[in-house]
Amino acid sequence: MKVKIRQWSGVASWSWVANDENCGICRMPFNGCCPDCKVPGDDCPLVWGQCSHCFHMHCILKWLNSQQVQQQCPMCRQEWKFKE
Amino acid sequence: MEEMVVELDSGETSGTGSDQQVANAWESVTAGLVSPGCSQSDQDLLDSLALLGYHGLGRLLGVWLLETLQVRLSSSVVPEFWSGLKQPENEQEERDRASVLLTTFRTLLDRLEPFLSGLEKLGVWQEEGCGGLSGPGPRALQERAFTTIRALLLFSPPAVLQERVLEFYSRTFSVYMNQEGGEDGSEAPDGPDGGACPGCGVLVQRCWCQEALDQLQDFSLILSRLQLVEWVSSEAVTSILHRLIEQRMEQHCRGEYERSFLLEFQEWLERVLGWLGKVFASKRDGDAAITPAANVPSVQGSQPASSVLKQWRCHMHQFFCRIYVNMRIEELFSIIRDFPESKPAIEDLKFCLERTNQRQQLLTSLKSAFESRLLHPGVHTSDILTVYISAIKALRELDPSMVILQVACQPIRKYLRTREDTVRQIVAGLTGDAEACTDLASELSRGDPVTLEMQDSDDEGNDPEDWTPDPTDAMPDKLGSKRRSSDIISLLVSIYGSKDIFIDEYRAVLADRLLHQLNYNTAREIRNVELLKLRFGESHMHYCEVMLKDMADSRRINSHIREEESKLSEDERPPLALSAIVLSSEFWPTLKEEKLELPAGVCRAMEAYTRRYEKLKAMRTLSWKPHLGSVTLDVELEDRTLTNLTVSPIHAAIIMHFQEKSSWTLEELSLKLGVPKELVHRKLALWQQHGVLREEAAGRYSVLEMGSSREKVDRGVMLIDSDEERDSNTTTQSEQREEKLQLFWAYIQAMLTNLDSMTLERIHSMLRMFVATGPVVTEMDINELEAFLQRKVREHQLIVSTGVYRLPKTN
Repeated sequence: MKVKIRQWSGVASWSWVANDENCGICRMPFNGCCPDCKVPGDDCPLVWGQCSHCFHMHCILKWLNSQQVQQQCPMCRQEWKFKE
Repeated sequence: MEEMVVELDSGETSGTGSDQQVANAWESVTAGLVSPGCSQSDQDLLDSLALLGYHGLGRLLGVWLLETLQVRLSSSVVPEFWSGLKQPENEQEERDRASVLLTTFRTLLDRLEPFLSGLEKLGVWQEEGCGGLSGPGPRALQERAFTTIRALLLFSPPAVLQERVLEFYSRTFSVYMNQEGGEDGSEAPDGPDGGACPGCGVLVQRCWCQEALDQLQDFSLILSRLQLVEWVSSEAVTSILHRLIEQRMEQHCRGEYERSFLLEFQEWLERVLGWLGKVFASKRDGDAAITPAANVPSVQGSQPASSVLKQWRCHMHQFFCRIYVNMRIEELFSIIRDFPESKPAIEDLKFCLERTNQRQQLLTSLKSAFESRLLHPGVHTSDILTVYISAIKALRELDPSMVILQVACQPIRKYLRTREDTVRQIVAGLTGDAEACTDLASELSRGDPVTLEMQDSDDEGNDPEDWTPDPTDAMPDKLGSKRRSSDIISLLVSIYGSKDIFIDEYRAVLADRLLHQLNYNTAREIRNVELLKLRFGESHMHYCEVMLKDMADSRRINSHIREEESKLSEDERPPLALSAIVLSSEFWPTLKEEKLELPAGVCRAMEAYTRRYEKLKAMRTLSWKPHLGSVTLDVELEDRTLTNLTVSPIHAAIIMHFQEKSSWTLEELSLKLGVPKELVHRKLALWQQHGVLREEAAGRYSVLEMGSSREKVDRGVMLIDSDEERDSNTTTQSEQREEKLQLFWAYIQAMLTNLDSMTLERIHSMLRMFVATGPVVTEMDINELEAFLQRKVREHQLIVSTGVYRLPKTN
């Protein structure tokens, strides 16, 4: 007997490769989206700082914009630099 | 009589003692009064009257006359009447009974006629003031006489009178209707065939229809002369009409909902009125001048008769409406069941119900009909929903204020709340999946943009003249009639009081549909979601939109990955064509977690796919749900090939293992797949049905390479039940609730550790207090909690005694 697979349609779910479940700013899951967005994934990406903390991009940008003096990571208070 | 006159004359001329004269005058006058045929001249009478008046005896005349009437009545007339009526005890012929009835009344009239005309004469004298008479006049005198007659005659009438009258009227009625309406002899029990006259019900050659009609005329005249119509006939007529309407309705309308009967009955009732006209014809001037026209009340012009008829017309309408409503109330359940077809019946019922004040009865009966015929475990939920939808449609026709709908359907709503699959059925109906409730899908696509919130907008500014207060049986709730929606979908959705449940369920259904689809074709789902968005609002359908977007994204990712793969050289390509649906897990309903070890080749393909995905979307990875999805495959056997089978991954995995080795035991397979034995056993059934595998002995399966014996096998395995109805991929509602309750277990344990023992109510209220943030507890009712705790007791994690729960002592 021989079985020939013509088409295998599988199901998978995607997730961010992050060291945490939820965004430290909005407390929403990374795999969801920030409160301002409707669609997760490409439309509401994550960004990593050099301190290795990550946030929804929209969240951290909002945070950084609100900081007048120094731009720090809200988690570890180090200076925020985007990880390349 | 002659002698008397002579005596009187001689008395007057000779002028003997005045006593003698007075006596003579008295004799003469009284004789003149009670025997109208006597030959005295009016002048003589008037002279005698004057003499009596002179002696002050005039006023005694009236008293005497009534007294005589009374004595005569009680001594002879009444007994004679009753014995005459009862006399033909052994007569069987209806026709004879009718004539006896008529004769008896005729004799009665004959006996009383002298008195009546006497009274009339006396009354006229009184009015004219002859001989110094004064008195109430003819009308009042006769009135008193009639009262006496009625009192003595009908003080305690034997039943026989009523029976005879009833029989007589029924007969004449059918004769009349037969003559008037041609084929419509509703009374004829044996029909026009068999040589019987449809009117009088005897053989045609002995037909006495005309006779009966003449008798009716006479009878009516006698009764009206005696002013007994009301007393003798009313009851009989009422019961006849009642019976006939009922009968006719039974014959014509019962079970017949697709046609309106109002007009038909209207016409029929008009014809019946013609008959009534005959019954209540009160023609005063003798039998001589009776023309057909005289039977029509308006021509007759006599005020009382036409007003009597008018009254009867009202009565008949009332009868009709009441009987009709009664019948329809009985049948309302069936009417509702056949609704769009039974609309005429509903409209008729509405018309009649407005006139009979039987709403309460309708409500009670309909409620109990629902409870006894619909709301029991034997009825499928989708059937209940179908009836409910029909009921909504029918009752909003019946009662635009929606009160009947709201009250009568309360039990249905309450009951549906207890059915587990209600939501699923409704959602299936909405998406057009359920064959039963197709109405819902069309209702949805009608797309009334009546969102549920829309109803909040207060339109108090409307014309106050249009204000229609609620009927009195409306349920006193804070929502006014404004909020009493007639929208089917809103009503269904509001069964649970919250649309979230529906949206969750819809998500589950949508997830199922999407995951069972191979071809990313979502046009229909997109349309449904758009329609639902109109109903439930954009924000509620957000998750579903993301799900649909996932489908579109997956297709893009797939085609991208395919493209990449095609650039590879032949041997670098993955061994099997794998496509994937990539989900945003946060937005999909919780999918069932099942373990399944796929064959190595498939796993490798999945890993390769994941790597490509990671390359495409930076910092993102995939986790596969091995048990979900579908596989299209060919099975090549020695003598035959099964092509294009679409099966689930576990089926595919099973059959792929049989490539390595043609015989497996259940244990081996179970181990290999990482799946419980029972499940493997169930899944093997599919391949047995296809005749690919065969159970050799005690849990050992092997491949049937040669199809020669296949037919035999086929027959053998037909009986194997395969549960290949589509399992739902999403966890069911109850499972989800279970999980939520599981969350509370920690709280409960903690509480019981601190407080030692608690009652059910206390646990419930404590949970409410502590975990008030989520919507979960408010939705959880105490019964559910009890069931949960009971299970914990069974699992020996709790102890209950005398209604108090406590934790078991830890050793």
